[in-house]
Amino acid sequence: MDDYISFEQIPFGSNSFADNPEPRCPCVLLLDTSGSMAGKPLNELNEGLKIFKKELLNDALATKRVEVAVVTFGPVSLHSDFQTAKDFYPRELNTTGDTPLGEAIEMGIELVNKRKKLYKENGIAYYKPWIILITDGSPTDAYEKAKTMVQTGENDKAFAFFAIGVEGANMEILKDISVRQPLKLKGLMFREFFLWLSASMKMVSVKAPGINTTLLPPTGWTEL
Amino acid sequence: MIWKAIGKSVIGTSHIQNNKLCEDALVYTEVIHQNESIFIAIASDGAGSALFANQAAELIVNRGTKILIDWILNDLPINEAAILALAEILYDELAQEADNCQVPLNEFSSTFLGAVLYKSAAIFFQIGDGVIIRDDGIGGYAAIWWPQNGEYINTTSFLIEDKQFPNLKISLIHEQINEIAILTDGLQMLTLNTETLTVHQPFFTSLFKWLRLAIEVDDVLILNEKLSDYLSSEAINDRTDDDKTLLLATRISN
Repeated sequence: MDDYISFEQIPFGSNSFADNPEPRCPCVLLLDTSGSMAGKPLNELNEGLKIFKKELLNDALATKRVEVAVVTFGPVSLHSDFQTAKDFYPRELNTTGDTPLGEAIEMGIELVNKRKKLYKENGIAYYKPWIILITDGSPTDAYEKAKTMVQTGENDKAFAFFAIGVEGANMEILKDISVRQPLKLKGLMFREFFLWLSASMKMVSVKAPGINTTLLPPTGWTEL
Repeated sequence: MIWKAIGKSVIGTSHIQNNKLCEDALVYTEVIHQNESIFIAIASDGAGSALFANQAAELIVNRGTKILIDWILNDLPINEAAILALAEILYDELAQEADNCQVPLNEFSSTFLGAVLYKSAAIFFQIGDGVIIRDDGIGGYAAIWWPQNGEYINTTSFLIEDKQFPNLKISLIHEQINEIAILTDGLQMLTLNTETLTVHQPFFTSLFKWLRLAIEVDDVLILNEKLSDYLSSEAINDRTDDDKTLLLATRISN
């Protein structure tokens, strides 16, 4: 007890932390690669995916947490399954056909459901999944079933579905499918989009009785 | 004074990036009544996207503590009924603030967790995430409750959610508590083992070690500043971008 301790000098703190699996934030991109996207829109979308990856890698936590899957249409195809940014290598997208938007949404929702099941089985905590549809056109298939699935999923807080219209998109149909107001994208501002995402998430699924949860206003990346 | 305590709420990197205020708040104090020294601590974590998260958290900790002190000095027992009454008062005051600001009540969403520690009894209370940790009497630490997040890790309950308070947990314990820690969810993943549902012991033992050794008031003040630095350090910020609160209190052996 006689030992004098200089508290100014002591190494206060702990470098020993619980070793938990990083919580995951699943994100599905449903990307329109129909004929009308040929040329500049698709180039910008390809560029956007690269920027998206780069932006995720710029953030220590997003790098570990965000898992991206990409579905292209049409025809509907799983372009890449859930990967963290480090392992996400978006292949160059090419225009392939028509716009089976309904089928693409169905696949996106199934992907999310399967992913959540896997998280639960492995004791991994997770954030509310986000499904982001980016299109410049109108569906060429029946989208009623997809619409119902989106609305049921949103009601059950199973995921958040966002429809983003690129120049030329049929915003009326997007409005019909999406519970949330579809947004008209200004460029492909994924960085702003994901800053907005993380800030909004904490209250996404929390609702006081009779009061609607409000998301933060989108910042800069939308024309709305 | 029979308690030594240090505690800080520190802003997270994501809040700095988004030009937000620190939305965690913490108040702790000791009150002497009838020769008994009673330790009070309340923490609150404002919801990320609530417009008045900072104000809500500040109101909860400041008003909450003040009301508890008043009640203790007026001989009111701080029991389950008192904590429920406290939650009701805080709910009404938050609702009044929301009304004044003409915003929906959920813009004042914030968690509520704390403790009142007597000589041979203690009461703990909590709405939402975060965790209160106590010494287990055999050299280790245990959580009073395991934090309850919803399906999603970033969802939880808030004080303003329901005036019936279905999510309010209260625990009255008739034993002497010698050490407690309170932390908000910014530190949960760093300090709790989610697989085994256990407290990560080394984290707490290495911090409490110094607090126990501090004898002079000045030493405790130095530790408190060091706690601030630690909570803003790279070691912490590499693992969480959220605001974080940590309170450590240890009873001076008698």
